[in-house]
Amino acid sequence: MKLYVYCLLEGIDEMNGPVRGISGAPVRLQALENLGVLVSDFDADAVPVTRENAMTHAAVVRSVLDRTTPLPFRFGTLVTEQQLRSYISARKPALETNLALVRGCVEMSMKIIWPVSKEASKEREESTEPDQGAGATFLAAKRREILGSELRSAQANEISTWLHESISGLTRDEKVTIQSSERLFLAAAHLVERPNLQRYREKMSAAREARPELHFLLSGPWPPYSFANIELEFKTQFGVS
Amino acid sequence: MSDFDQILVGEEWEETDLSLLETLDHVLNRGLVIAGEITISVADIDLIFLGLNVLVSSVETAHEVLRKRQSE
Amino acid sequence: MKLSPENPLSAEPEIETSHVEEFVEQLRCVTDTLPSRINIDAQSVEQGLAKLVLTLIEFIRRLLEKQAVRRMEGGDLSPEQIEELGLALMRLEGKLQELKTQFGLEDEDLNLDLGPIGRLI
Repeated sequence: MKLYVYCLLEGIDEMNGPVRGISGAPVRLQALENLGVLVSDFDADAVPVTRENAMTHAAVVRSVLDRTTPLPFRFGTLVTEQQLRSYISARKPALETNLALVRGCVEMSMKIIWPVSKEASKEREESTEPDQGAGATFLAAKRREILGSELRSAQANEISTWLHESISGLTRDEKVTIQSSERLFLAAAHLVERPNLQRYREKMSAAREARPELHFLLSGPWPPYSFANIELEFKTQFGVS
Repeated sequence: MSDFDQILVGEEWEETDLSLLETLDHVLNRGLVIAGEITISVADIDLIFLGLNVLVSSVETAHEVLRKRQSE
Repeated sequence: MKLSPENPLSAEPEIETSHVEEFVEQLRCVTDTLPSRINIDAQSVEQGLAKLVLTLIEFIRRLLEKQAVRRMEGGDLSPEQIEELGLALMRLEGKLQELKTQFGLEDEDLNLDLGPIGRLI
């Protein structure tokens, strides 16, 4: 019998009421050292990635958000009790650092799409020189493509900076990823202290109105999925930044 | 029964439920990773990466665990 | 969003957007990289390995293209060299396309999520 683990937390001694987990199994709070882990029993080797299971996982992690800020485990984490104990005791300092980082916060998610601009299609209509060989034509086309994507990278950085400045002071941490393929897609995770949530929302509303050419998606509050990582350790150990 | 088939095959995946997609974006690719025990899928790029990342941090853990066992 | 007893933090997260379809399409791209994580059979193992190899080649190919363009702009390549370089890279792109088709892979499949370092391509 394995354990399905949902999240790591501190500051809670018991569940507020019954919570159903994966496959309907009851969720319980397992105390480990001075921390707690939400777990339920799970009887197979793999967890099917279904809508139901994904939503159940999210609901279980969310169920404690009122009382504390948990560190979610990745969906599908199955361990024996012994493995869980080893993990916690071996990683304790890093986990406590991580808990301290997210303490009192929630995660807000902001995604931005910037649809393709007209300049991109204009570039493609440039005519080629008649006596250019196939190879030179190929490279010329690549040059246009690469310039286009450099432009998009610059645009992406601009938006990223603007976003950061719009909510400056209201976030404890931010994680931003950018995809600039055909259209620009920026995904930001903001770690917001709970008392700041209202003001954060207001600032985001104002920011959205200030940039009508951008398409926004705002969601939250979430438990800090994007800020639960022990890569922090990896970075300090190996100097990767 | 394989995992992602249940989401990605058939009409269930045709649904355009933004709420589900946003949730998936959060719970599937983020969160704490316990050494080598993520049993979502088999033999694929993502697993390889997870294995590497986890391997690096597992090396530390293994040393500590060994040290503890030796002192028991 | 007002925080109140009727709307505690443990309620389902709100999602706000005026562009539902666009974001659905975008998020499906993100989770569509999952398809190759499907079956536990030999074919997808092979596909998984092919994906890894082709992704690395694709990465290098793009670097080569960028470098070629840079040199072309730097003005130190003769027209003949530009032509040869272009042809070679063109053939490489074509070859890679063939390989992708052979393994049933799309452009979006050839990407690696390197976690803290971001996506490869």
